[in-house]
Amino acid sequence: MSRKQVSLVNIFISSFIAFMALFILGPLIWLAVHAFATSWTYPNLLPDGFTFTWWKTIAGDQELVKSVKNSLLISPIVVLISAVVCLPAAYAFSRYQFFGRKSFLIGMFAANAFPKIGLYASIATLYYTLNLMGTIVGVIIIQLLGTIIFMTWIPAAAFGSVPRNLEDAARDAGASKLRTFWDITFRLALPGILVAMVMSFLASFDEAQGTYLVGVPTIYTMPTKMYALVLNYPVQIAAVFSLLLAIPSVLLISIARKHIIGGQLADGFQIK
Amino acid sequence: MDKTNSINNQESFAVNKTAKLSWFGFFMALPPVLVIICFVGAPILIAAGLSLGFTGGPNRIIALIGQEISTKTHWWGTLDGYKSVINDPRFGGDLRVTLGVTVVATTIVIFMALGMAIYRRVIGGRLATILVSLSLIPLFVPVVISAFAIRTFYDGTGFVKSLLTHFGIDFPTLTMTNSAIAIGTIWTSLPFAILMISSGLQAIPDALIESAQDAGASFIRIIYTIMVPLAFVPIVIATTFTAIGIMGSFTIPYFLGPNQPAMLGVEITNFFNSYNRPQQSVVMAFVIFGAASLIAIFYVWANLRSAKQSGRI
Repeated sequence: MSRKQVSLVNIFISSFIAFMALFILGPLIWLAVHAFATSWTYPNLLPDGFTFTWWKTIAGDQELVKSVKNSLLISPIVVLISAVVCLPAAYAFSRYQFFGRKSFLIGMFAANAFPKIGLYASIATLYYTLNLMGTIVGVIIIQLLGTIIFMTWIPAAAFGSVPRNLEDAARDAGASKLRTFWDITFRLALPGILVAMVMSFLASFDEAQGTYLVGVPTIYTMPTKMYALVLNYPVQIAAVFSLLLAIPSVLLISIARKHIIGGQLADGFQIK
Repeated sequence: MDKTNSINNQESFAVNKTAKLSWFGFFMALPPVLVIICFVGAPILIAAGLSLGFTGGPNRIIALIGQEISTKTHWWGTLDGYKSVINDPRFGGDLRVTLGVTVVATTIVIFMALGMAIYRRVIGGRLATILVSLSLIPLFVPVVISAFAIRTFYDGTGFVKSLLTHFGIDFPTLTMTNSAIAIGTIWTSLPFAILMISSGLQAIPDALIESAQDAGASFIRIIYTIMVPLAFVPIVIATTFTAIGIMGSFTIPYFLGPNQPAMLGVEITNFFNSYNRPQQSVVMAFVIFGAASLIAIFYVWANLRSAKQSGRI
């Protein structure tokens, strides 16, 4: 390409980046400013004044505080159960050939490919019979379903990428099977497992549709409380609550960012 | 072929280790499958029963609580539940909006993701990295927050309208329209499509692209004779998951869409919770399942095709 063409392409790309920055970041920044705004006169581009009142209002609202507590209680439980249920399976998928392996794989993907809201309505129907409607256990199960694919697939890819000759070398040097697993296989697969845990935690923490269908009105988590906030409270309150809700995502993702974008996540979605 | 080998190296980890069947492996892999059988498979079968008017057994309680439930009249059930949904004047509009938004938003998402992923793969550099990192941000934002943020950004007193007013432009209020649903779903679906397609394109060997360039192939030609065919499976996965995700979404259309006609995800929730008509809710769920399974067949076909090519089955 000639120099002129290159600079034209660069201008196009730069303006596209500017558009994407506005498209992606604009709504988030606009929302964040609302959390500190006293009031806002249309069509000004800045609020009339800045304040922390809305943050105090939230801290004083028992129901909102309770939903924060619920979220912080339920999500770790979900991740823990998910790890116990899925990590052995992840290892098995990466290391063993067994009866039904192919059907298991396709079944898991089929489950993940169901349109979420239809699936939740079906589950809620069964929950009436099982007496799980509006219970913590019911919410935990709903959220667990969303974590299975992360907790099985990402660690399976991680276990699979541990070089076999390292394990063989450890065994030759006299390490026991268990020791080889802990010191070699598990340690090398650990980044993948942590990414899976981060993704599972966020999947559970941010799950709103299913939790809303089976938990409300007895159990509110932070995301389901948002439905009420958005429709019935001042914009600023919902904005403050949004920022609170985003804290775990921002923290966890900045820790695990490299691995997630490095392809651990994408590895998990192909039938192998 | 180079491609087959590289895929084999990456993907054959599971296959070549143990040739003999392992019961140990089977039982280790069983727990998540059992969870899925109990809480995905069983509920769907039971809900299918409810949609056909089987109101006994596990559906007994919901049939007692719910209103306007038709009970089976034949050994195989009844279609009255389906008929009542189809005859509801709202349903046609709801279905059209659901399919329309799905097709439009999926098309835009895939083209944007393809464009950015190809740009990053072929040209690369700092601008490409900025562009891709920017587009991945929505992955880390809970969907309730994104829906709410987009709602305030495009509403009657939102940023877009405020800004353009200063230039004397009377921009329409997008919030509570189908355009806003499309914007919201594009916003939330973009990262997954980019990750998927990007990782597919990264697997294409540099040598292949360079030799095509040396042989004088144009940029466009490289895209459609090398990049798209070699990254075909990831592109199909991105497309199917995006489309199915949009079809089954609730929060985005709930916050951003008009009250009527609404996407089926919103109607399913309304019928289940607000109107207490679970049978109609489940019938609509099966309409969505039907549409999604057509898309899913495409996905399974693409996966099997790639598995055959790399000699895994």
